Amino acid sequence: MKQTPVTAIKTRGGSFVELELAGKEIARVSRPGQFVMIGAGQSYDPFLKRPLGILSVQEDRFSLLFQIVGQGTKLLSQLQPGNTVSVLGPLGNGFSLHPSEAVLIAGGRGIVPLVFLASHFQQAGIPFTFFWGVKNELELVLASYLASFSPSCVLSCEEAVSGYGCGTVLTSFSSWEKTHPLRSGSRVYACGPQGMFRVMQKIPFFSGVPVEVSLEARMGCGFGVCLGCAVKKKEGSGYVHVCKDGPVFLLPEVEL
Amino acid sequence: MNLETRLGPLVLQNPVILASGTCGYGREMVPFLDLDRVGAITLKGLSVMPWEGNPPPRIHETAAGVMNSIGLENKGFHRFVQDDLSWLETVHTRVIANVWGRTEEEYIGIARLMDRLERIDAVEVNVSCPNVEKGGESFATNCRVLHQLIGAIRRVVQKTLLVKIGPTVAELEKTLKFMEREGVDGLSVTNTFPALAVDSERQCLVFERKVAGLSGPAIKPLALKLVYDVRHLTHLPIIGMGGIMKTEDALEFLLIGASAIAVGTANLVDPAVALEIVPGIESYLVAHGMNRLDDLIGKVR
Repeated sequence: MKQTPVTAIKTRGGSFVELELAGKEIARVSRPGQFVMIGAGQSYDPFLKRPLGILSVQEDRFSLLFQIVGQGTKLLSQLQPGNTVSVLGPLGNGFSLHPSEAVLIAGGRGIVPLVFLASHFQQAGIPFTFFWGVKNELELVLASYLASFSPSCVLSCEEAVSGYGCGTVLTSFSSWEKTHPLRSGSRVYACGPQGMFRVMQKIPFFSGVPVEVSLEARMGCGFGVCLGCAVKKKEGSGYVHVCKDGPVFLLPEVEL
Repeated sequence: MNLETRLGPLVLQNPVILASGTCGYGREMVPFLDLDRVGAITLKGLSVMPWEGNPPPRIHETAAGVMNSIGLENKGFHRFVQDDLSWLETVHTRVIANVWGRTEEEYIGIARLMDRLERIDAVEVNVSCPNVEKGGESFATNCRVLHQLIGAIRRVVQKTLLVKIGPTVAELEKTLKFMEREGVDGLSVTNTFPALAVDSERQCLVFERKVAGLSGPAIKPLALKLVYDVRHLTHLPIIGMGGIMKTEDALEFLLIGASAIAVGTANLVDPAVALEIVPGIESYLVAHGMNRLDDLIGKVR
């Protein structure tokens, strides 16, 4: 399998790591919301590749941002520039890219695909407001990724921190929304923990506007053959598969 | 170099097959490999009716392996015909349809439907399914039930008929004898191995159905043993599989008598790996002064 060289790796603190890889092909065709499957080890343990969202693309390289949560991500965090990894991608469907106005709602590491999406909106001149909420101060290391969008950002932290709204990302969005009517053709884009999506499904505002959510899942293959990443459909019976039908779904489509 | 191999009446251009459930309905693999260069592809198991499969979690990673409890999810025969058949007609590789049912009648139904499709070259029967008429016991674990099932399927399938067996098959010797008598053309050995995963944090079993199927390099020695045993009990051609990740693994199965091999779980990690194994086998033959695959098959007794 083709090996992709690591061009840079930065530890961000709070167990977050940004990994930059060489890859003209992936950089050229990736769309916001897509992901890659990346091999964490050279042996059979861990065995499966890991799905990681694409953070940004440059001309001939692309970046991933992940949190160390287990053995696979720990091994990935130990890579050095010049090492190579096996990568499949870009995979998945990605976000829709042409709303008249956008609201981005990210919880914690859910920031990753929305940073890519926000850069697209910024380049395309599409107005957006980016809400990002974290549980604690440790996650604030990721705030630097929002620096270039700062006039359009509303930040919140569940712990009291100066400069941040206190509460969840959804409380800060709800108070903003009361004084900011959205124009027609607007869309909401969200990525975060399942609990955040569950709350969103109960808030009436989100049933009046198209909401695209990007789901995280344990995956076997990442390209739709193993059917391992099943999520129950909200209407009717059966499952959708995060890797192939998603990872981006409409909020009412999925049982969370 | 002649890499051709035979499974009864079915001739493959080379012995490398993509295993059922790891290559979708073929089209999913197109970004990664040229299907016309493998010996055959085996479609994801199909039943007459669509089947939604098991609730998540469905997969669990283990050391050198994966456990799965997908629960046979599939789109059903009719949607397969609508969505995939005309596309499959654009490729030239051999296509094996893997089929299953919950009753003998359902098995016969799907086998008959597949047999009528020109594009399908062979039917592979998954017999490790719960029999709803026998309280959910697997067809594979009851020799008498299995015998009757295989006979009934053989009567409706004109094409090459393969039966996929695994470690749970009852009375192996007796089973293999009636497979021969009923006119089965070949055997796929092995299916996944029943296994258990425990979540110590949450103090529960990982899978709702408790037992899940283990695959990947972790099972390769077990799969080799089963292929070896089957080889000594029957003359039926065998598709050997179980943890094949690279050329050397494939050679091991061929050496102990498999006529072809299937790459399964490896496809999840490296969907192009089959196309490294085909030339890998060829180079091995050249290096060992053999000019056809048949010289290699069964060399180790």
